[in-house]
Amino acid sequence: MFGGLEAFFDSSGFIPHGVCLLWKPEILALHIGSDVLIGLSYYSIPIALVYVVLKRRDVAFSWIFWLFAAFILACGTTHFFSVWTLWTPEYGLEGVVKGVTAVASVLTAIALWLLMPRLLALPSPAQMAEANDALQREIEVRRQAEQRYASFFNNLAEGLFVVTVLPDGRFAFDTLNPAHARATGIDPDTIRGRLVSEVLPSETAQAVIGRYAACVAAGGPIDYEETLDLPVGRRVWHTVLVPVRDGGGAIVQLLGSARDITERKKFQEELVQTSKLATLGTLAAGMAHEMSQPLNIIRIWSENALSRLRDGDTDTARLDKVLTIVADQTERMGKIIDHMRTFSRRDGGGMQMFDPAASVRAAVDLVANQFALENIAVDAEIETGETVVRGRPLQLEQVLVNLLSNAHDAIVERRAADGEGPPAGGRIEVRVRRGGSPGTALISVTDDGGGIDPDVLPRIFDPFFTTKEVGKGSGLGLSIGYGIIDAMNGRIEAANVDHGDGRHGVRFTITLPVSHSSASEMERTHA
Amino acid sequence: MPEPAHILVAEDEVLAAMAMEDFLQRKGYRVTLAPDGLAALERYRNDPADLVITDLRMPRMDGRALVRELRGLDAALPLLVVTGFLSIEPGQDDLTSPAWKPLEILRKPVSPQVILDTVQRLMATRPAA
Repeated sequence: MFGGLEAFFDSSGFIPHGVCLLWKPEILALHIGSDVLIGLSYYSIPIALVYVVLKRRDVAFSWIFWLFAAFILACGTTHFFSVWTLWTPEYGLEGVVKGVTAVASVLTAIALWLLMPRLLALPSPAQMAEANDALQREIEVRRQAEQRYASFFNNLAEGLFVVTVLPDGRFAFDTLNPAHARATGIDPDTIRGRLVSEVLPSETAQAVIGRYAACVAAGGPIDYEETLDLPVGRRVWHTVLVPVRDGGGAIVQLLGSARDITERKKFQEELVQTSKLATLGTLAAGMAHEMSQPLNIIRIWSENALSRLRDGDTDTARLDKVLTIVADQTERMGKIIDHMRTFSRRDGGGMQMFDPAASVRAAVDLVANQFALENIAVDAEIETGETVVRGRPLQLEQVLVNLLSNAHDAIVERRAADGEGPPAGGRIEVRVRRGGSPGTALISVTDDGGGIDPDVLPRIFDPFFTTKEVGKGSGLGLSIGYGIIDAMNGRIEAANVDHGDGRHGVRFTITLPVSHSSASEMERTHA
Repeated sequence: MPEPAHILVAEDEVLAAMAMEDFLQRKGYRVTLAPDGLAALERYRNDPADLVITDLRMPRMDGRALVRELRGLDAALPLLVVTGFLSIEPGQDDLTSPAWKPLEILRKPVSPQVILDTVQRLMATRPAA
């Protein structure tokens, strides 16, 4: 069928295409002009396409540009061949060129259709511009928000700080705001990105790292008071820590806010001290009586001995006995004075772990004798044991003395209101036991002083609220007691009670959380 | 020789009671001790005294109740209250009132000499038996 490659390209049997056009000059000119112009144009287009692709490396689907370039170049070549075959009838070669053009066209067409959905999905410049605008607006909003938050962070009077939780569980400082920098004396630039344990003195670092770890363990905000030694000196802080999580839920940062409450603490202590001294004032009569007993014994024995000595009685056995009595009685007085001194001492120390029963016992001992003088019995059932609470023992004792003193006043008042007749007795019950709910200790003080008006009951812990006569009570005792118990994370409540035998009174109940102190905390307490 | 005057001492502080017993006996008085008001009242009923010295705060029966009981038994009995109390509480029996006489109050700590002087003065209010 085919006569081989040579026969295929053999043009000797053909006549030039110009013959078909009868060599009419105007027709020839039109064909030649058009084909040359088309060919040139077709040659320039791929150059332009390739130029674009080479210049714009980011152009999507650049390979289709190459395909287009090849197909159009081939098309251009066919037009030049059309001019060529007007005179030389190399139709075999022209056919090959057309065949190549056909292949390039078909590939390009198929590729274009296959690419169509993806081409359509390409955003238009208008869409791009719109998206760009939206992006710009978004950036502006975020910039303003950032500025606003930066402004909060930089200008708030509250001390703020950010701690980074490292993947290995250690803590590094990110930053702290100017207010906190001023309050602590720490320069943010010197701590940024550095480990807490490297920046702070070891004792302080140990304390704060313990808090950070507690916040991570809690997985939520924690809130505490702490005393820290910082460049500005020893200050007391009320700190709140809030964990910040990443997308996966892991805690990556801690946001902290801290308020310097040193002055407030000092003022509170002053108030507590004042209230304590006021309580001491009310106890003075009882104290005087307590002291008068041993003093009386010393005086009578010593004067008796003196009188015998002057009468010439030098019985050394008797003198020995008298001096032993004198020594014993001074010791007894010493104990009373010690207790007064301990109670009146300013309790500026930190929180510590202690047995609440001991404080209650001390309070009862302080008042029981005086109350007994006035026929008021203090019936104490105090379970001593392993119960340990966290707080200040002297302050708890103060709260108890205050409650006992109030109970006493209520009983005295009730008896005065009962009018004439022999003064009836009074009874105050003090109980210390484990709480009904596990992990709590209960302390209760119950009197038979007639109870409190139910309308007044909700207000008795308010500062300056008093039912006593003017000059008899500051109205601060219970509110300070409330503050002291609150600082121990406990609560104090009051309720009227009916003793069932015609006696009525009030029961104050203090509930304290029992501490399971870690060894480190014990160490810090004793440090 | 006249029979010595009998003094009953109600005092719960044993050492204070013993010391008073000592100097009163040396001055020639016969002394009976009682550790509380109830015991004192019982001893007085069995063996009436010419004068009673009492503390105020005592277990079982306090000094006020004892004074009331004794005054009920003998309106002219000399009474000496020795107490560590600073003041007499309002609403209670006012022992300083003349209604309770013959009665004197001494504050602890008190000198034995002052007790003796007061005892002698109170005794003088009572015609010798």
